[in-house]
Amino acid sequence: MLSQLSKEKWTYDAAAHLAARSGFGESPSQLEQWTKQGMEATIQELLHPANDDTPTLPTCAAPNQFAELRERVKEATSPDDKKQARRTLRQTTNEQLYELINWWTQRMLTTPAPLVEKMTLFWHGHFATSGLKVRSPYKLWQQNETLRRHALGNFAILTKAVSRDPAMMVYLDLATSHLEHPNENFARELMELFTLGEGNYSEADIKEAARAFTGYRIDRFEQFRFIKNQADGGNKTFLQQTGNWNGDQIIDIILKQPAAAKFISTKLWKFFAYEGPESQLIDKLAELFLQNYEIRPLLETIFSSEEFYSQRARDAIVKSPVQYAVESGRTLGVNLPTGRTLFVVYQRMGQVPFFPPNVKGWDGGKSWINTATLTFRYQLARQLVLGIRVLNNPPSLKAPQVSSLAQASPSAQASPSAQASAAAQTGSLTAQNFVRLPALPVEQLVTAEERKDPEAAVRKIYARAFQTAPDPQLFDRILAVAKLKPLPLADDAIRDLVALMMMTPNYQVC
Amino acid sequence: MSQEPDLLTRRHFLRTSILGAALSWTVPLFVERTFSLLNAEAAETATQIATGKDHPILLVLQLAGGNDGLNALVPFADDLYYRARPTINIPRDTVLSLDGYVGFNPRMAPLKNLFDQGKLAVIQGVGYPNPNRSHFRSTEIWQTASDADKYVKTGWIGRYFDNCCAGEDPTVGVTIGSQLPQTFTAEKNTGIAMTPGGRLGFGKEADASEQQVFNELNGITQDHDLTSGSSIGSLNGPSEPTLSAVEYLQRTALDAQVGTDKIEAILKRTKPEAAYPKTPLGNELSLIARLISGGLPTRVYYASQGGYDTHNAQENSHNNLLGQLADALAAFSNDLTSKGIWDRVLVVSFSEFGRRVAENASKGTDHGTAAPMFICGGNVKPGLYGNHPSLSQLDQGDLIHTVDFRSVYATVLNRWMKAPASKILGRDFSALSFV
Repeated sequence: MLSQLSKEKWTYDAAAHLAARSGFGESPSQLEQWTKQGMEATIQELLHPANDDTPTLPTCAAPNQFAELRERVKEATSPDDKKQARRTLRQTTNEQLYELINWWTQRMLTTPAPLVEKMTLFWHGHFATSGLKVRSPYKLWQQNETLRRHALGNFAILTKAVSRDPAMMVYLDLATSHLEHPNENFARELMELFTLGEGNYSEADIKEAARAFTGYRIDRFEQFRFIKNQADGGNKTFLQQTGNWNGDQIIDIILKQPAAAKFISTKLWKFFAYEGPESQLIDKLAELFLQNYEIRPLLETIFSSEEFYSQRARDAIVKSPVQYAVESGRTLGVNLPTGRTLFVVYQRMGQVPFFPPNVKGWDGGKSWINTATLTFRYQLARQLVLGIRVLNNPPSLKAPQVSSLAQASPSAQASPSAQASAAAQTGSLTAQNFVRLPALPVEQLVTAEERKDPEAAVRKIYARAFQTAPDPQLFDRILAVAKLKPLPLADDAIRDLVALMMMTPNYQVC
Repeated sequence: MSQEPDLLTRRHFLRTSILGAALSWTVPLFVERTFSLLNAEAAETATQIATGKDHPILLVLQLAGGNDGLNALVPFADDLYYRARPTINIPRDTVLSLDGYVGFNPRMAPLKNLFDQGKLAVIQGVGYPNPNRSHFRSTEIWQTASDADKYVKTGWIGRYFDNCCAGEDPTVGVTIGSQLPQTFTAEKNTGIAMTPGGRLGFGKEADASEQQVFNELNGITQDHDLTSGSSIGSLNGPSEPTLSAVEYLQRTALDAQVGTDKIEAILKRTKPEAAYPKTPLGNELSLIARLISGGLPTRVYYASQGGYDTHNAQENSHNNLLGQLADALAAFSNDLTSKGIWDRVLVVSFSEFGRRVAENASKGTDHGTAAPMFICGGNVKPGLYGNHPSLSQLDQGDLIHTVDFRSVYATVLNRWMKAPASKILGRDFSALSFV
């Protein structure tokens, strides 16, 4: 189990597999480079990326921007003024949230450190926090940076950072937990979802841990602050150990449990390789992780293992909506929607960054796909290729998405009708509110020479779309369509072929 | 397993023509694999096939997050309630009394009307032994109808589909939205999730050959007959984990094709009624009413209302949720009554748990145990069922359930759906008499 992939098995297809799983796909020239330089060098490059120059910051990257607007709501005297002030507050917040989603999407699209972004996405689904309850775009951005900073670092340090993260503190009510009646929400999820998994602790452990996480507050600059006189200084008996534990010590005690190392190793393996891993494989990973909870060595073991490249792992993972969108942008060059349209598109596919359905994050796997989401993906493919219409200068919107979306609860499942209402709202806008983004630029996909040769053209596009060597049957069917088109292939003919590839089951998996 | 099927019925005929197409590589493997199996099964299943417009319909309504039952069905005659909740209680004089001991939150006035009209049953103190206070685990227990210490993959409705609806159309179960609940998880027939307006197809003024390749690549054959109760969509292969990711995608594409065609056709000829509240739940129920009246062969619909996880300053938010719930259900009842189909519909609401008896320091309530279930429909036997849990005898601050939720399921399955409840639920649960 987990022996290193032998050198001769490191092929172009293996490199492509690694690119899709560890990131969001790469260009054929990049994949050739990886093939040449070998697996170890490639993995080291992923684990220690060149400096990811800080991109432009989103507007929300400064704390406490809404104090004035909130003040205005408070001071409004007439009901009409109050309503107006509330609306302005809501709209400004929503605009920043849309911008934040776009900002992260752009970052994933252009990053020189794809594994860092992929792991940030993984941790976001793991330490899930939703804008529905947190509301503050600044706090969400701050959390995103915290997850990124520790994405490949140390899980113990990461977990402690998350326990002090203002967005999480709001989401799981840590910031309002009282000394007399400690709120159990964070303590429960810390064990059930973030570290140990259900069944490895008792209700009493939750109550004791909740006492240890008292005194956590958020100051007016939206930063963590420890208030000693709100903290429970008494002894707590937690997982059979008694002492005056604080929150960090609780996390240390938790992480001494082999169950924690196993829980995280299993989740990472499923995220990167396949469902239902062999138990010896997980035991081995967990043993390694338990030593010091360093994330890099664990990822290195996964990415260089025989099993990661095995037949069982190939095409076994359904692309998440974020993966689908970002990979299409990175490898095919389609223009992703912007602004609120990107939010709606993510929502219809079932994954909005910064808005996981509940504290458990996204279930992932096959649950990404059902009749509704698949239908939408296929419709989206054609729109992306032809140039999707995005909302431009939205008029004053009566019911902002974020408040009507579903509910402000971390634990409730999102209301299915939320999507419908979002779509209805978009539909009520007129055509003038939309602009069409440029269609897929085809020059970078195929040369003038290749346009004269359907087989060469299909081969070229196929390599980008599917990243791997062609499946003969799939290739032949697409080629048959290409052969019906007049030569040289016109721009729209090529776009048809790209759309057709995107509208196959094979494109939905990696 | 691979024997040639008889050409006995139209259903068989349709399947056979599909199998005929299996000579080409494009028919997904799972179709071939499950074809004979299902064919044999369908012959065995003597259960009535819902093709007409008279079969009973169930709407499962999830109140997600843990509904605070004590502030919905208020034990207003009990001082212990007011002592446990000094700041977030429902004032005695505002409660809409049902029997002198419990009554509805005043925001639920429309449900009080339904109760008075004899269209609403309330089951008190519903829960299960060894209650779990995790949202996810407890939701899973309710959705799979398992014991608290057992893990079951399929949902209770999914097992109903498997037992009673073999060979049915994929629209036998419909969730409006883009998430399928675990309640529907089945070995074979999982139902569909739909967002209106979605169509599966290559999508432009279709060049026939492109459309055909698109269909082939997605494992869709053109042979399904939209007007019959059956279609190729009924050949649902087993769900996870037996299907590969690609096979699963092919199956979903097929279901989407069949389902959207039907739903679109119904939405084209029906109009939304104006009387629904403009809330997510109102929109959802309005849509379901159109699908029912349009004759979709669906046995079970699933809807949900979220937001019940009221740890913090719950008074306004919880009252609003209950108000939205009551308004939407009242509109649904009026709409279906005027269409003459309310008698065919049973709405069963549930929440993963109730909340702790005592309020917390944040003027909210933490995860608890038992809670009431609301059940309405034109054919319901109205009234209060089960005993209200005691407020003096608590289990670590929590209510002790008086009715097992699977008794409610057993009643619904046996008496409403005419299904073998003990087979679906794994053992016998005493039935109640609300239908």
